[in-house]
Amino acid sequence: MPEFTKPYESRWQAFLLLLPTFAVLIAFLYYPGVETFRLSLQQTILLGTRKTFVGLENYATLATSSAYHWSFAISVAFAAVVVVGTLVASLFVAYLLFQVDVGSSTYLIAAIWPYALPTAVAASVLLFLLHPSLGIITYVLESLTGTSLDWFTNGPQAFAIVAVVAIWKQLGYNIIFMVASLNNIPETLTESAKLDGVGHLKMLYRVYVPLMSPTLVFLVVMNTIYAFFQTFPLVDLMTSGGPNEATNLLIFKLYRDAFEFSNLGLASAESVVLFAIVAILMYVQLRLSESYTTYA
Amino acid sequence: MATRSTSESTLARLLPGDIDAEQALVHGGLVVSIFLMGLPLLLALIMSTQNTTEVYQITNVGIGSQGLSNYETVLGEYNFGQYMINSVVMSVIIVVGKVTLSLFAALALVYYRFPYERAVFMFILLTLLLPVPVRIVPLFDLMARLGWGNTLMAITGPYIASATAVFLFRQHFMSIPASLVENAHLDGVGPLKFLWEVLIPMSRGMIAGVSVITFIYAWNQYLWPLIIMSDQSKQVVQVGLRFLQAASQSGLTRWGIIMAGAVIALLPPLAVLIVMHRPLLKTLAIQQK
Repeated sequence: MPEFTKPYESRWQAFLLLLPTFAVLIAFLYYPGVETFRLSLQQTILLGTRKTFVGLENYATLATSSAYHWSFAISVAFAAVVVVGTLVASLFVAYLLFQVDVGSSTYLIAAIWPYALPTAVAASVLLFLLHPSLGIITYVLESLTGTSLDWFTNGPQAFAIVAVVAIWKQLGYNIIFMVASLNNIPETLTESAKLDGVGHLKMLYRVYVPLMSPTLVFLVVMNTIYAFFQTFPLVDLMTSGGPNEATNLLIFKLYRDAFEFSNLGLASAESVVLFAIVAILMYVQLRLSESYTTYA
Repeated sequence: MATRSTSESTLARLLPGDIDAEQALVHGGLVVSIFLMGLPLLLALIMSTQNTTEVYQITNVGIGSQGLSNYETVLGEYNFGQYMINSVVMSVIIVVGKVTLSLFAALALVYYRFPYERAVFMFILLTLLLPVPVRIVPLFDLMARLGWGNTLMAITGPYIASATAVFLFRQHFMSIPASLVENAHLDGVGPLKFLWEVLIPMSRGMIAGVSVITFIYAWNQYLWPLIIMSDQSKQVVQVGLRFLQAASQSGLTRWGIIMAGAVIALLPPLAVLIVMHRPLLKTLAIQQK
């Protein structure tokens, strides 16, 4: 809180200033948020015209559905791959940006631009360049490795390709935060470590990474949320959840259950599961950032 | 730090025979990584000039025969001109609406004394737990009941209030010196005049930063417009890329056209990022806290 005494006292003015924000948040966030819970206890039949209360039946359906278990498992695996892949690749580039002597601001813009890359654009471009029969990158990869890329029919390959595109799009965001974090490290520390003759890789893992940990925790949380919630265009444009459900992530399954199969009660229960995931992640971030503040 | 190391390397270059091998590696590493990150875009740009026959010759990675005519086709025949206008209108409304509403809310939170301040702030922050997929079915229902399907209200309304923007403006206002605020109040300046004449001029960088973040975020929307806009002519450009997947000619997918569409759909946010990277970076640095 600010140190000064607050200049304005009028309660109704404060109320009026907060009103537009509150109106939007209540109408379009809280109200539908609460409705999701209510709908998850109902079943809709006859194309949504009749609703009946079914208690926890939708949750029971999810708990026993092998298709949902599968979707949940691959979403977790997908998030893990995207988080680790993004962090490793971004850390490599960010560390170089931190080390470079001249041209750092030009390099920085050239490295963070994927922050502006729309997910649907990333999906469209790589769908073509990695196309099993037409893609130039596929062609080069196949001639270099002698393997054949066949991700329209091969599930694990499709999963890997979608993950690579997800990582590509997320690099810019991660590099921005990592470079800022590296630049906050006291220079004396770097210099004394250099005098002790510590090598680069060792410096990175022993000195920089521990000092960057608040930023890294933040990025793990943000990347996980991204992998669960913002990857819909990738699946929709590149694989439609296939082949053999290999890329049927929770967000895509939710879309289909709700808007293709009109199973609104079940889809709402799936939304509640997603809510639980985001709540847990935010809680982790909050607790860890608190513990860092106390420590510092 | 930048100036110190620059002078150091200048010194290194002046010393004969002392080539900085380590820096050469760093530059090399950066050039290679940046090249790899940009390669798909470069290839998309090249392919966007090719006709379908050239595209189907896989190893043909030269500039194609179409020049810019694929862009003309995609803007006209495939309606991307309309989709781009729709996306710009949507994004600008979201940016202006969100910045205005959040400035008002932050003004109340920082400069007004009222009961349950902490609870009010928490109420705003907790909406971070409610991304669109968590409330998508009831939100769709609500829009149907309001009769907002296929309207601009449906794709802008749910986005014009935000926890992040209120949080950022609140942080920024709290960092403005108390003496300035007290002076303003002693002169009997009303709250809106105070916002307009004191706070906004002192928050230009932050307003620019929040606007860039919001614009890039709004431009990237895909799932919600896909669901709520059934009228194709009112659709945004990201979903336009979905329609483009059907672009074909005598059974062959027109990938040159699709690449042109992808490039067009990328340009506005990319331009905004390049021009406004400074306020963006500053604002993001505060967001993490």
